[in-house]
Amino acid sequence: MNKVSIIGSGNVGSSTALYLAEKKIADIYLIDVVEGLSEGKALDAEESAPIRKYDIELRGTTDFSELAGSDVVVVTAGIARKPGMSRADLLNTNAKIMKSVSEKIAQYAPNSIIVMVTNPLDVMSYVALKITGFALKRIVGMAGVLDATRFRYFVAQKLGVAVGDTTAMVLGGHGDSMVPLPRYSTVGGVPITEILSKDDIDKIIERTRKGGAEIVGYLKTGSAYYAPAASVAEMVECIIRDKRRILPCSAYLRGEYGIEGIFMGVPILLGKNGVDRIIELELIPEEKEALHVSAAAVKEVIEKLEDLEIF
Amino acid sequence: MKKVSIIGAGNVGANAAFYIAEKNFADVMLIDIVEGRAKGKALDLMEAAPVRDYDTKIDGSDNIENIANSKVVVVTAGHVRKPQMSRLDLLEQNAKVIGPIIGKIKQYAPEAKIIVVTEPVDALSCYVWKKGGFKRNQVIGMTGVLDTTRLREFISKELQVSTADTTALVMGGHHDYMVILPRYARVEGVPITQLLPKERITNIIRRTREAGSEILSYLKTATAHYAPAAAIAEIAEAIVKDSKRLLCISACLEGEYDVKDLCLGVPAIIGANGVEKVIELQLTLEEKQEFDESMTVISEAVKILEE
Repeated sequence: MNKVSIIGSGNVGSSTALYLAEKKIADIYLIDVVEGLSEGKALDAEESAPIRKYDIELRGTTDFSELAGSDVVVVTAGIARKPGMSRADLLNTNAKIMKSVSEKIAQYAPNSIIVMVTNPLDVMSYVALKITGFALKRIVGMAGVLDATRFRYFVAQKLGVAVGDTTAMVLGGHGDSMVPLPRYSTVGGVPITEILSKDDIDKIIERTRKGGAEIVGYLKTGSAYYAPAASVAEMVECIIRDKRRILPCSAYLRGEYGIEGIFMGVPILLGKNGVDRIIELELIPEEKEALHVSAAAVKEVIEKLEDLEIF
Repeated sequence: MKKVSIIGAGNVGANAAFYIAEKNFADVMLIDIVEGRAKGKALDLMEAAPVRDYDTKIDGSDNIENIANSKVVVVTAGHVRKPQMSRLDLLEQNAKVIGPIIGKIKQYAPEAKIIVVTEPVDALSCYVWKKGGFKRNQVIGMTGVLDTTRLREFISKELQVSTADTTALVMGGHHDYMVILPRYARVEGVPITQLLPKERITNIIRRTREAGSEILSYLKTATAHYAPAAAIAEIAEAIVKDSKRLLCISACLEGEYDVKDLCLGVPAIIGANGVEKVIELQLTLEEKQEFDESMTVISEAVKILEE
């Protein structure tokens, strides 16, 4: 049986464990520094196994040495966004957490693939890369899958079609500067630009861009975790089962799309080795420009990071 | 529990029952004029239920009255091709087989959505529509879902990507006359025209067009039945669960794509009302020409039936 470890047993981490348990593809270890949190959630989930029929092992622990033997390590540790807080505001706290978590991963699970979830994730992926020294393809950030699932849901709602038939492509940094590509977003292969008005598409893009904030606005004391966890589980399954799916994820770019030295959301071929290939889409000038604006935003945050002197 | 009836318990019909059972969304009534054939296969399927975890009822009968109260009726009855035969060669003999069945559906399940599988599908869908006097949304020819599942499999093999992320659209007549639109064939939204060189796409298209014959040449005495049955189950599920799927099927056209009084492959929204909406794509001149050529072949076949 494969093994997936999830660092951070908050709502996103523990919901990811649940979605993964339902998929029955790997043993799952929940790890959190808070005593009892992981143990309690893992046990609760295990106790539903007889009804939900999964026979994988679910364990909770505070001991990072339990990372050993993990095929995939999901990192959700960090503080979540509060209402009114921008993702960049999370930077200082989460960068420090990421440094210590990355050291543990490098020590105990040096052959794993890291799926980064902690925000601002394009930047956190960069921290993990610097600290672990992992091969570039073995660190991948969860962003586009979540943005795309929201986008797809809104498209399906608007058109009254099955969500399963929708696809969406979202590039760029996660969050406000994301770059949705309607030409590459489809219903059963038909681009939405052929079946939705520009006005409707613009509204859907705007709502997707603010999708995370919309949920925070409702929950007030927390942020979204079902759709994020579902997105993580989708990526983990793709890696474990070597499904080789084309998914929009944050990957380290070395000149692709004319961008160098940062993590950014792009379509990648994801499989058992991590980022197998970066797909370079044909972009129109307008899309290219939006992508570069997004890249500049990520670069700016990384520069602030250098001032923290964590490397 | 909603009910799906399948007329014809041969390989395609029985495997459609199997896939529907596995999907656990409807009771199934298998009908065949050969005594015992439907009953035996249904019983065999029910005896697998405890292991496979489905709780729907699968039943079989040689009495077509048992299709009453069906949400969906699938017509698979008819002859299949022998090697070297074309599907249009089956036209007259299969029209004779399904002629009486159309009357029975009208009598016992007049409101059902009818999935036509018997070859040649486009012409016989038209026959069901006109002869039975059904509403046009009720009649669905199983064509493009099969053609696209094959095309998708070939794309995923060629690119070594997950089949789940592939989408494809085909239009026009089934099989030999299908119009494949590579710019609408995609992997997670990315057109294959950006992922594969032209000659490899041409090869994939050719193989898809001849995919039924490829299987027939292996099996010799039988035609493909797993992929066709999977396609039937997919359409039936969309109707029963009202999922509003965008699927390529043969629809009764009344002016869409400049076609009238003919069933032809198009993308359409499939839900509880059957064909709920035909999606009209913006075809290039070349694609439209290919589509029109395909239409001419089917419309000639329908003319033969009318006579």
